[in-house]
Amino acid sequence: MSLNRSMVAGSILMAGILAFSLYGIGQIWASSKNQTDPLYVEECGSCHLAYPAQLLPPRSWQIIMSQLDDHFDENAELDTESRQAIEAYLAEANQSTNGSYRKLRRNLGKQTPLRITELPYFIHEHDEIPSRLIKANDKVGSLSQCNACHKSAEQGNFDEDNIFIPGFGRWDD
Amino acid sequence: MKTGQTLLTLCLAGTIFISISAGQINADRGKQLWYAKTDGRSCTSCHGDNPANSGKHVKTRKNIKPMALSINPERYQDDKKIEKWFFRNCKWTFGRECNVQEKADILTWLSSQ
Repeated sequence: MSLNRSMVAGSILMAGILAFSLYGIGQIWASSKNQTDPLYVEECGSCHLAYPAQLLPPRSWQIIMSQLDDHFDENAELDTESRQAIEAYLAEANQSTNGSYRKLRRNLGKQTPLRITELPYFIHEHDEIPSRLIKANDKVGSLSQCNACHKSAEQGNFDEDNIFIPGFGRWDD
Repeated sequence: MKTGQTLLTLCLAGTIFISISAGQINADRGKQLWYAKTDGRSCTSCHGDNPANSGKHVKTRKNIKPMALSINPERYQDDKKIEKWFFRNCKWTFGRECNVQEKADILTWLSSQ
């Protein structure tokens, strides 16, 4: 009887530990997958894709955020409170840079690119795509329109499986 | 922040009230401003000619929901948001901030569309 009880108690304890661990793993996975902060999406995503913070190193974001009055020839000024909150988010989100994003920093050295399209890895990944599919493609227009072809870009997913170039179709590198 | 916002709202409301009292708000003038070109830029660069239609960001091509209140009743509900966009977009379009009079004129015109 007491052995049975011990076994039951042990099983419950084990199940608890297992559930807790799974929850923990889930949380880590969620934090690395879901980079979206509501304020970031609202303020930055109203004009363009809320580019995942991990796509640029923190030093790049610092410069971008310090010159929002001339944001690639646009005015994107924010009130001080929102700007500071977004700066904090960008810095924090960058700390959880996982493997799939780390390769974006390859060959970057000490450069501080202000455009994701200037990253050596980015250029390498896109250099085989003819310009008729990008610049001359009315539905794309520029490589900065990630989500025109990367259908899951908003979720931070740039996998090849999810590429569909408008007017062309699936793109297999 | 709350106090600041309340003050801002009061100031805006006060100015608009005084302007209305003096008969100064002019939707037609707002319309003219909407179409006014400064160095090739105007509100229509991104919002399109007809505020009842969706616009498209001139650079990023992102869809912009209609500005006409009759088509998009969600517009103009949040003072902070209104001020934020006026601040940014007047600077981009006209190279300067819009004054209260201009903002009241444009808002009145768009709200009547």
